[in-house]
Amino acid sequence: MELIHPHTRGDVVEVVREANDAARRLLVVGGRQHMDKGNPCEADAELWTTQLDRLVAFEPAEMLAVVEAGMRVGELNRLLAEGGQEWPSDASDEATVGGAIAADAQSPRRLRTGRIADTVLEAEIVTGDGRLVRSGARTVKNATGYALHRLVAGSLGTLGVIVQVALKLRPLPGVRRTLHAPGPFATGEELLERVPFAAAVVATPGEIEVRLEGWREEVEEQTDAARTVAPGLEAVDGGSFPTHRPWEDGAVVVEAAVPPSGLDALTEVAGDRWGALLGVGLMWIGLDEPGEPLSQIRARAAEAGGIAPVIHGPGGLGEAALPAPHTHARLKAAFDPNGVLAPGRFWGDI
Amino acid sequence: MADVEAARRALEDALGPSEVLSDPLALALYARDASMVEGGCALVAFPRELEHIVACVRIAGEHGLPIVPRGAGTGLAGGATPVGDALVVVTTKMDRILEIRSRDRLAWVQPGVVNLDLVEAAAPHGLTFAPDPSSQQSSTIGGNVATNAGGPHCLAHGVTSNHVLALDVVLPDGSVERLGSEAPAAAGYDLRAVVVGSEGTLGIVAAACVRLVPLPAAVRTLLLDFDTVEDCAATVSGVIASGVVPGAMEMMDRGIVVAAEAFAHAGYATDAAAVLLVEVEGAAGAVEPEVAVVEAAARANAARSIRVAADEDERARLWKGRKNAFGAIGIIAPHYSLHDIVVPRTRLVEAVTRLYAIGRRHGLVLTCILHAGDGNLHPHLHFDAREPGTRERAAAAGEDIVRLAVVLGGSISGEHGVGLEKRAFMPLVLSADDLTAQACVRAAFDPDGRMNPEKVLPAGTRCEELSRAAPTVGGPEAGWS
Repeated sequence: MELIHPHTRGDVVEVVREANDAARRLLVVGGRQHMDKGNPCEADAELWTTQLDRLVAFEPAEMLAVVEAGMRVGELNRLLAEGGQEWPSDASDEATVGGAIAADAQSPRRLRTGRIADTVLEAEIVTGDGRLVRSGARTVKNATGYALHRLVAGSLGTLGVIVQVALKLRPLPGVRRTLHAPGPFATGEELLERVPFAAAVVATPGEIEVRLEGWREEVEEQTDAARTVAPGLEAVDGGSFPTHRPWEDGAVVVEAAVPPSGLDALTEVAGDRWGALLGVGLMWIGLDEPGEPLSQIRARAAEAGGIAPVIHGPGGLGEAALPAPHTHARLKAAFDPNGVLAPGRFWGDI
Repeated sequence: MADVEAARRALEDALGPSEVLSDPLALALYARDASMVEGGCALVAFPRELEHIVACVRIAGEHGLPIVPRGAGTGLAGGATPVGDALVVVTTKMDRILEIRSRDRLAWVQPGVVNLDLVEAAAPHGLTFAPDPSSQQSSTIGGNVATNAGGPHCLAHGVTSNHVLALDVVLPDGSVERLGSEAPAAAGYDLRAVVVGSEGTLGIVAAACVRLVPLPAAVRTLLLDFDTVEDCAATVSGVIASGVVPGAMEMMDRGIVVAAEAFAHAGYATDAAAVLLVEVEGAAGAVEPEVAVVEAAARANAARSIRVAADEDERARLWKGRKNAFGAIGIIAPHYSLHDIVVPRTRLVEAVTRLYAIGRRHGLVLTCILHAGDGNLHPHLHFDAREPGTRERAAAAGEDIVRLAVVLGGSISGEHGVGLEKRAFMPLVLSADDLTAQACVRAAFDPDGRMNPEKVLPAGTRCEELSRAAPTVGGPEAGWS
């Protein structure tokens, strides 16, 4: 396996064009934190984005940062914290910004922070045939043309190489607190109802964690509201979140996505190493191996109208009929006409 | 060649004779939207269910008519202004809220549901639909999706795209697909994300699943006024730089304030150079500290007065002036053109100063209303079209306004879209390769160029890659000139 380390956007264009000429298949790699999300695919070379790691612009009064795609998430947030802000992807410090976006990494705080694609205001990508293309604008609002910059979020590096993005940021909360409440799934749902502005409500087998963020006054107020549901809860200020991550014990981690009301039924097939984001509809499930339990989870997720890709270990994305298959095929054909970008890695053999 | 008469008969069979219009009055009514551009159409159809939309798309395709989807027609960029022998598909009769599921914090609606009707239906569930364009009393969810609509409260909650979970879309080939999902992730590329904001060029939304957010537990509305526009804009920057993102921060200059006050009697100071309407919202414990931050920023920038709405009545009055400002400004001059640009939030002062200079240069009155927190400006050019040459001067000033946004590092549209009015300006912000990529996205949905021609992309923009690379799935080379 050849490893290629471009230093500039121009380098990336050159690498991709050469790959087209030589019929060389490229796997785009950032911090290697999301490599298992996607179907197994054969590649002849890895294109590493990690040398593209400049902070291009950060103006706290704009609440916006322009950053090259290979910057590590930890480094970015360290720089942003100096201006009192954060990019709330919650991807691991080692992940790259581009990798987290391409993999549609899911934040435990998604209830509050929204989709990762919602933070991508502008993107520069190098398409599969080696064109440098920009979409979006460096403003928080923009209504000019098709949102190609959102389309590449979650595309697993199969339409283009993300080389630079403009990100919408948010202020770092003054107070961060985790509430720990013993109790079943239903307690979590009650907590979500009583504390609607929580940053997250995570249910694990036997325990609920509620994440609160904001002003001291509002965190206290929400803590009091939560106590009406769970009088015995324990409040811990600061710290990482979630505290308990039983799914991480699995050799295989599944990331099921269902409508929030479908989470309850998913617990029946999830075993005892899971964590569910209430009000969001995500559940991370730890397994020893793919096989039958994974099939059951996928069947149950599909019944609820959802999906269950593996994000750690073997298992791939799973089967799902793609909507608008012709549109999918045309997009891939237009942006990667010679199929050099990780063929087969995406849904539907794309 | 379009066979309008055959299309009319087929549509009448499919939708019923009362749902298809072709008389001169109807054709004139639907020949334009709320923009300044006049178009023309051949037929107008009013689907009442999904199958009717499918029939419209199929019949238009068979008889060679371009299709122009339309909601309430409040769009300001000409996105729903038809051209050629178009079939205008009006979705306003599909106006049912299909379900509100509070446990999933979502609603399914038909495309013709009026934005404010959804807001009011969600309220008893303790939820709301956050995008609140000024047109929300009349604009539809389908139209909001098509333009990726904004509004004052998008400052805290984000624009329409952040609030659309799934769309049932009739594609240009007549197929029906669900794009996106009620679940937080879905298989495939995020086609939903490109349909939002696509101005009716990729398909027709037959149903939308939208995210609802909890109603704030507390709201405080502040009215601030200033002797200079600079102080007002500096206050906006100061609040953001303090790490507070209010629910809304709306700025109005003196011209707008005088007109809005005469209409709404909101209590705006008509001798101020600018007033700022700020709303903070959220958990009860959040609003008081945020009010304090706003007040501190205002004092640091020489605010003349700071008023906090005492009750819901006063709050409603303060907002009435802002939300009806567009209607009120008719008293300044018989005609006006409304523009929509975005600049980096730190360049608001410079933007406003240079906008006034543009007005002076062209001998026109220019007033300004701003979603200031987002850097989104709505300059108005006021004129009397009966005076010779004024329309031309307004058009020239409009072009200068667009160019100013580009010079300041901003965008040529924040929320109204490109439509017909701004397509020629797209090369100011996108390169030839960027535009080709845009055309490829469009061609992936509409290879034959059936939907809403002459919109969004400049004349001659083509996806050449596609026609070369995908002979098996593509149609003829797509173009929208």
